[in-house]
Amino acid sequence: MSPDEALLVERVVSAHRERGADGAVRSHPAWHDLGAEGRRAAYEETARQRAAERALDPNAQSSTVKAVLARLSR
Amino acid sequence: MQPEHEQLARISAGDAAAFAAWASSAEAPLRRSLRPFAALCDTEAVLQEALLRVWQVAPRFVHDGRPNALLRFAVTAARNVAFSELRKVTPTATEVEALHRALDAQGEVTLSAPDPLLRAAIARCRDKLPAQPARALAGRLEGVGEDRALASSVGMSLNTFLQNVTRARRFLADCLARAGVDLDLELSP
Repeated sequence: MSPDEALLVERVVSAHRERGADGAVRSHPAWHDLGAEGRRAAYEETARQRAAERALDPNAQSSTVKAVLARLSR
Repeated sequence: MQPEHEQLARISAGDAAAFAAWASSAEAPLRRSLRPFAALCDTEAVLQEALLRVWQVAPRFVHDGRPNALLRFAVTAARNVAFSELRKVTPTATEVEALHRALDAQGEVTLSAPDPLLRAAIARCRDKLPAQPARALAGRLEGVGEDRALASSVGMSLNTFLQNVTRARRFLADCLARAGVDLDLELSP
């Protein structure tokens, strides 16, 4: 994987996602710039990153869970 | 872990803390259920959307009497979101066939219980991180904002921040391996 691809993968690993006009969670722009191999790598690295986040957070919440909790409404 | 019905009642009533506890246990199995979609759609976005749909639907959700009812519903919701995303990328027939084979091969889903030993091992390795990767990882752990803002908050350029997060994760994996912990094995079903 090239250094540029590695940076794209790391951007996709972030839990930050914008919302579309319809309110739905949108794909990360960097995800679209990755090929199939990079997308699979982003998936695997995200799984590892979230496991570490859960382990290190006092409430066992990953950044995915925190991002979702920040958007709760009913 | 709370008994499932009690937890569901609290989530249905709008208890965000109960939902947070459930979502923390559901995240890993949900993400695993989306692995076959990894090259076809952004599974992080799909996962977050599925969790938000669970929260929205919870007040009307009817337990079917079998274990992990809400998690099974979440898996279905996540797959529906993922298939909806697939319409935007028009996968090949071969890709769709492989996807369905992989989904058919998936087994029962169960919530993942916290592992205090793994938690302690990761914390020990985190404490050994070099300064720059430690700061970058802390930035990712403490904020869910856009990476440029997180990088700025820890005094790094975006690319330096991203490189240091990658370094931190590799360092953790190597440190865990030396301690006899295979993180990938821990993450497998």
